[in-house]
Amino acid sequence: MNAHTAPFPMAAAAHAPPSRSSTGLRWLLPAATLLLLCFLVPVAMLLVRSVTEPSFGLQHYRELVGSWTYLRVLGNTFLVASVVTVVAVVIGFPVAWLMAVLPRGWAQLLMNILLLSMWTNLLVRTYAWMVLLQRTGFINQTLLKWGWIDSPLPLVNNLVGVTIGMTYIMLPFLVLPLHGTLKALDPSILRAAAVCGASRWQAFRRVLVPLAAPGLASGALMVFVMSLGYFVTPALLGGTSHMMLAELIAQLVQSLLNWGLAGAAALVLLAVTLGLYALQLRWFGLASKGR
Amino acid sequence: MLLDFDRMGRPLRATLVGIATLTSLFLLAPIVFIVALSFGSSQWLIFPPPGWTLQWYRDLFADPGWLEATWASVRIGLLVMVLSVVLGFLTALALVRGSFPGRAALKALFLTPMVMPVVVLAVALYAMFLKLGLTGTLFGFVVGHLVIALPFSIITIGNALEGFDFSLEDAARICGASEWTVKWRVTLPSLRLGLGAAAVFSFLVSWDEVVVSIFMATPGVETLPVRIWAALRQDLSPVIAAASALLIGFTLLMMLLAAALKKRNR
Repeated sequence: MNAHTAPFPMAAAAHAPPSRSSTGLRWLLPAATLLLLCFLVPVAMLLVRSVTEPSFGLQHYRELVGSWTYLRVLGNTFLVASVVTVVAVVIGFPVAWLMAVLPRGWAQLLMNILLLSMWTNLLVRTYAWMVLLQRTGFINQTLLKWGWIDSPLPLVNNLVGVTIGMTYIMLPFLVLPLHGTLKALDPSILRAAAVCGASRWQAFRRVLVPLAAPGLASGALMVFVMSLGYFVTPALLGGTSHMMLAELIAQLVQSLLNWGLAGAAALVLLAVTLGLYALQLRWFGLASKGR
Repeated sequence: MLLDFDRMGRPLRATLVGIATLTSLFLLAPIVFIVALSFGSSQWLIFPPPGWTLQWYRDLFADPGWLEATWASVRIGLLVMVLSVVLGFLTALALVRGSFPGRAALKALFLTPMVMPVVVLAVALYAMFLKLGLTGTLFGFVVGHLVIALPFSIITIGNALEGFDFSLEDAARICGASEWTVKWRVTLPSLRLGLGAAAVFSFLVSWDEVVVSIFMATPGVETLPVRIWAALRQDLSPVIAAASALLIGFTLLMMLLAAALKKRNR
């Protein structure tokens, strides 16, 4: 009897890698060449310029940390990225939570709204916010009409506009991974907490939040990292007096032709981004498994 | 209880539904507004518009610059799509099936362009292509977009490969199929969903890409996003609203298409 139910020997053999494993490296060649020539080499060349142009030395790094203009750009960058991350978590957590418990049809509707917003062209979304937030825009006009304000609020060309626009763009990147985590939780765990006498607040704080933490942390980290290096939305909604790091790099290259300083700023941005990416890899593994 | 919609309690349920409703409005508002304003007669984009018009669409189609930029975007997008799927397939195959030292590190390296700030890549490529005289060429755009799109392809196809039962290949070999036939008639057809998703993603990455494109563009050679970017830097003309509305329509069409494909494959 046991002989019949034992696993078929072929099935075990199929799991072993075939003999052609050593040929794997050959298939990497085209993509590796592209990555080397059009990614690693140019980025390395840019970073090298930060210590060689116009003369050898660390003067550009000294300039970056020694001038109030550049320190303010760094401050703006971290401030906006932090605020956007916090707001995205505060709004995104309830939305992801609701999506995980709603009946299928409604959850799908919410998901479709998120995806529509995420898939809409980035410039279109930013343009929409520029129109909505401008002095004569719908938001200011409505507030004026209702008598809540006496003169139009300055909502664009400052960090308020950048934060609103960036939160809009980043929200799906927080909700989607978090929704995946919450959806995978077993509701009976929370029923168990209730049976054991936990209040709603205790169940939320001691059970739900810790269980959601991996999804929440990886989503928040992704939003923070993406926000740090964002270029388009800050450039259009922020204006030149409230610059962020990515915009500074672009401007140093495009209008000031200061390649050395641009390289130094790029290294700072890159180091922070890749450092956080490495942390994420360490804590949560590669992105390919999650959703 | 907290994960049961019917038994989570009325106050909590009301709070969650309230926040989600407001968030949905927040997410939909800009999209609805732009579509409405593109038909509005107000030059200053006043809402609600004083009247309705197709003027902005007429202006859009009367300007050959917009059409040329769209055509350039389509060509670049299709090239990026094909190259990204082919390279992504080979790379994913090696990363999923191969066994060689440093595989995990290589995988992380191949996915790096996805997490890197695009502006750094854009500036770096711009510096190199400026020296090589490649800015303003189709090649420059395609290569820049390809570097960004490739990780998406590798992930999507890699996931499909992980779900593929490779003993099917062995079965085909045992039945006498040549190595080429095995790949062409067995492996690729089973992966068509993953390959299709990678193709759509890659096209969309290229189609939406702004930052690298701004640096690659020269007067006369630009993609649709570069054209919108340049127009936005001047004023908030309603012609941009018309172009935006068409792009939103395109997005909706792609989503419906994706939903239909998913349904058919279930």
